[in-house]
Amino acid sequence: MNETSDLSTQSEQPEQTESRGTMLDVSGLTKIYPDGTLAVDGIDFTVDAGDFCVIIGPSGCGKSTTLHSLVGNLDVTSGTISLDGTDITDQPTHTRDIGLVFQDFQLFPHLTVAENIVYGLEQMGLDDQEKRRRTERLLEMMQLEELADRDPEELSAGQKQRVALARSLVLEPKLLLLDEPLGDMDYKLQKRMERELLRIHREFDTTFIYVTHDQTQAMRLADQIIVMNDGQVEQSGSVAEIYNSPNTAFVSAFVGDSNTFTGTLEKETTDSSVTINTELGSFTASPDNLHSPISEVIESEMSFLVRPQHLELSDEHENTLECAVQDVIWNPGSSTQVLLDVRRDDASKELRLKSWELSTVPEGDVRVSWKPEHTILLEQTSVVEGIDLEKDILGS
Amino acid sequence: MADQSVISIDSLRKQFADELVLDRIDLSINDGEFCVVIGPSGCGKSTLLKCIAGVTDPDSGEIHLRGKNAEATPARNRNIGLVFQEFEETLFPHKTVEENIAFGLKQKAEPPSEDQIGDQIDEMLDLLAISHTKSSYPDELSGGQQQRVELARQLVRDCDITLFDDPLADLDYKLQKRMEIEMRRLHKELESTFLYVTHNQDQALKLADRLIVMNDGVIEQIGTPEEVYTNPANAFVGRFVGDSNLLTGNVVQRADSEIRVETPVGELGVSNDGDQPAMDSEGVVLIRPEDIGIGDGAARYRNEVDVVLEGKTYTGEITEYSVSASGHRDELQVVKPGKPDKIGDKKETKIGFDPDAAQFFEEISVTGEMQVSDLLEAEQ
Repeated sequence: MNETSDLSTQSEQPEQTESRGTMLDVSGLTKIYPDGTLAVDGIDFTVDAGDFCVIIGPSGCGKSTTLHSLVGNLDVTSGTISLDGTDITDQPTHTRDIGLVFQDFQLFPHLTVAENIVYGLEQMGLDDQEKRRRTERLLEMMQLEELADRDPEELSAGQKQRVALARSLVLEPKLLLLDEPLGDMDYKLQKRMERELLRIHREFDTTFIYVTHDQTQAMRLADQIIVMNDGQVEQSGSVAEIYNSPNTAFVSAFVGDSNTFTGTLEKETTDSSVTINTELGSFTASPDNLHSPISEVIESEMSFLVRPQHLELSDEHENTLECAVQDVIWNPGSSTQVLLDVRRDDASKELRLKSWELSTVPEGDVRVSWKPEHTILLEQTSVVEGIDLEKDILGS
Repeated sequence: MADQSVISIDSLRKQFADELVLDRIDLSINDGEFCVVIGPSGCGKSTLLKCIAGVTDPDSGEIHLRGKNAEATPARNRNIGLVFQEFEETLFPHKTVEENIAFGLKQKAEPPSEDQIGDQIDEMLDLLAISHTKSSYPDELSGGQQQRVELARQLVRDCDITLFDDPLADLDYKLQKRMEIEMRRLHKELESTFLYVTHNQDQALKLADRLIVMNDGVIEQIGTPEEVYTNPANAFVGRFVGDSNLLTGNVVQRADSEIRVETPVGELGVSNDGDQPAMDSEGVVLIRPEDIGIGDGAARYRNEVDVVLEGKTYTGEITEYSVSASGHRDELQVVKPGKPDKIGDKKETKIGFDPDAAQFFEEISVTGEMQVSDLLEAEQ
């Protein structure tokens, strides 16, 4: 593996994608089911035009209810949904200009691939030439030209999913909703289809909202991620924001692998660094991820996380720990994972370290270290009240 | 070698109706090994497991367990632990966790005493970190806890061979990652032989001492994860295990330890130390995404290709770049650890890799029936 700086000289400017305004604006959305279940609790979020937005969260977090509210096959209890500036909260589904793709494709079995794609266009009152133009464009973009005259039952799962996508996209909706579309596919096909979805999204330039419980898929696909938990939004932001500046401990534990500690912020501190005391020792952290002024949270208990790839097998950095190597997982083509056990007095903890550069790992006792800037403070456990870090988040 | 192998399989063959599901299977598994069988669905991996367990009879060939021909031994006497994916259906709903685990022990030909059973159960629950569930009923447990009870039930039997059929497939991501680590730890502590089938190649690479790659009823390659990943026996294995970029091409030049291959993206140098393919022979070039440099740095590699940057995806740990090269329909993938580099709006860039990062395969698969197009179609 080579250095990662290969591209750094090309431009001094961080990449800026131009925002094209808001496509979807959800405000105060609440859904209480007839049995009294509060599935979605007054959530707000916006999605920029052309973005690939992924909504993730554990089962029962309200992501499906949110999706069905957007589709319009569920009456919302309160709140508004605006699409491209128009309030669609009370509009029937078929006038919303929203496409929908499911896990089980829902193709018409007695129609060919091309007929499945053209079907939705028949209702739109387009002339034949336009219908043909759009259908041919979709067949080409989905690499389905050679399959145009086949029946759905002759297709593989990946091909069926491409037909389902084509059938929605041919209508040129303002928004395409995807409900766990890759859920049932095996590992290899899922990876392949993730790439296909990214390519299709780029080429169609449409706004996508994708619902999944699979956080790795979310990280690979999203421009924007919305993390939901118990009917509320824990955080909405770019992959980099969610991963590097998680709003809550829930977000950091749900997205990506992490080592999570709990400690108490110490009194003496500077503006650029704070000290946090734990059972395993004292560590230096950057206050960047704090929401409150430092003075307000001094002496309070707080968790923090260190991502596995930010731990190093050295004592080069300010924060160090004595550990015992438990296991080494060599993962060809990916990073090596080292499982470490750290003990001090009665406290013990298992840590994970990941590195692309290790060629050997010593047995027995080692020192690991990490930089203060990689000690990410988590002021809040969750936006949901009464959530316990150990029991509800880190537990199994 | 023979005296070391716990499972020894010779010329195994199995046909269902007119479909040959296992053919020419030769395999020897050593005492205490963690072997993982991977392959696309329908490759025969589950059938292989069932033949070893004794629940399916092979048409021909021999299976020796601990040196003894298994043919005469019915499934229940083979003393093999079995863990399947559908664990919900195997636990007794009206028994507690403790009673579920005890059941297997009491079924033994010479059951241990009540005290011994109690000790063994406590030890196993502790090992799997589910001691607190001892008096619970299965429907009070989470999916992950139920799966661990099923593991405990099989592992407490202390069989020297345990077979696993994709036991973690139904668990969510977080739990899967945890259980992968647990499986490694359990294997180490129990010192028994594990034969594990999965369709998840990422999991296979993490768990296996040795990987067995199957395709269409036959074994394509057996080796350590490192060997299989860095030296795949053929294009199928290279493509199936790990991520890769594939280019078709013809050999146009042969030199010392290197050949030149004409591909849709230009002529490429490919390391080749062994028997070199003949001039003009057709095959595929395989390059791993993490072995490719992108941007200005590409110039330091001996193969360089002009590309257009189509997209990039930052996943927290790595960044994946998708690039297109004229003449090649599929986008190529480049993977780098960490955050995306500043790349501005410059879409035209270069990728580069050295000849020893590329491999040329004339053989697509040992089945002899696969074409390059089949490799790509298999992923549709």
